[in-house]
Amino acid sequence: MKQKILSALFFLFCFQYLSAQELFVYTEPASNMAAKSIGLRLNNYLLKEWVMDRYDYQVKPEIMCGVSKKTMIHAEGFFSNNEKKFKADGASLYIKYRFYSRDEVHSHFRVAAYVKGAFNNSAIHQPAIDLNGYNSGYETGLVATRLINKLALSVGSSFLHATDNTGDNKFPYEAKNRNAVSYSFSAGKLLLPEIYKDYKQTNLNAMIEVLGQMNLKSAKNYLDIAPSLQFIFLSKMRLDIGYRFAIIKDLLRNAENGFLIRFEYNFFNVYK
Amino acid sequence: MKTLSLYAVILFSIFSFNASYAQSVKKATLQASGLTCSMCSNAINKALKTIDYIDHLRANIQTSSFDITFKEGAKVNFDDLKMKVEDAGFGVASLTALVDFKNAAIANDEHINIDGMVFHFLNVKDQTLSGTQTIKVIDKGYVSAKDYKKNGRYTKMECYKTGTAGSCCSKNGLAAGTRIYHVTI
Repeated sequence: MKQKILSALFFLFCFQYLSAQELFVYTEPASNMAAKSIGLRLNNYLLKEWVMDRYDYQVKPEIMCGVSKKTMIHAEGFFSNNEKKFKADGASLYIKYRFYSRDEVHSHFRVAAYVKGAFNNSAIHQPAIDLNGYNSGYETGLVATRLINKLALSVGSSFLHATDNTGDNKFPYEAKNRNAVSYSFSAGKLLLPEIYKDYKQTNLNAMIEVLGQMNLKSAKNYLDIAPSLQFIFLSKMRLDIGYRFAIIKDLLRNAENGFLIRFEYNFFNVYK
Repeated sequence: MKTLSLYAVILFSIFSFNASYAQSVKKATLQASGLTCSMCSNAINKALKTIDYIDHLRANIQTSSFDITFKEGAKVNFDDLKMKVEDAGFGVASLTALVDFKNAAIANDEHINIDGMVFHFLNVKDQTLSGTQTIKVIDKGYVSAKDYKKNGRYTKMECYKTGTAGSCCSKNGLAAGTRIYHVTI
């Protein structure tokens, strides 16, 4: 435990000297994508199950759409071999509304509110609530993001409610355990290029994120640290590589540590 | 009678053509706010490119600014540029434009109509503007909120707040609702 906290602090320490951006890997920033644009993502997770000593592979295709300058929508499908056989587990819909924005040259402060609804047809094996491939339910939250030159900082918090999963998969814990609060802190820094010359230059961002959840009934927590690297190609494609690990795990999950590899492609001004 | 109508249509077309050909905004430089990275800059770049009367667009990612050359004879609307930047998720930090004023005499806190575009000059000396002149748009949304508030001391006219002709502008014969760009040199 001590070692993990120390390694987390080490990451934070290194980060100070790396001196990105807010295109965070594990959380959404308060900013939206451009209106009339569409983004496609392929999110790949490889997570270690600590009970079964095996890896879960989860693949989550996602489509994002900038509905207006203030509103965007994400729709995501969940597929995994969590239950040994590879199958479609569910899907989610996420809507974000940016309601405050103060922009200056090379900086901004923005605040957005979001709601998310998800369904899932798997059996529930963990008290931690996860609408990203494990639980049916809903989430509502706020996120605030500050960009200052090449550094972006973001804080967010949300309320989550788990319903029963579909396919007669009941929420197996006490009813009051259905509610939880999640919170996050993200920091990203643009490392390369040092000086921009054209849109073909590859951008490299380094990020570190702290992700936590507390169940409102049991008051049990988890807290994860997630460092990541992000490459942006031709100013429209993204490759994210992240590793997430738990430093507090009182609130149980089956597979908490593992990799995320994401491909993203953005189409600007797709429709009028 | 038909022939007369035809002449009227032809005359009207020629007049319209001349009016658009006389467009005096040649170039503009827009600096966007709220971004650093090239993907954000590219979102603005792609959005601006959808404006059909832009002839050439050059982005400077480092400074988040865009040099824009307009097509000859095009009817330029600064609000189109601003809307595209905002749709991309960002704001306008500054907009300067190169305008051919053709020896127009301007006066401080007065309106002037240049080829169908109404400018309201603030914080300037009364003078004759010969040839092309760079002006800076200081309307709401074209400068920082702080600068917009600060520039408010240069006029008492309500059009500064609304951006359109109101009762304050009737002496210039402007129709209510006409877009007025508040500018300085």
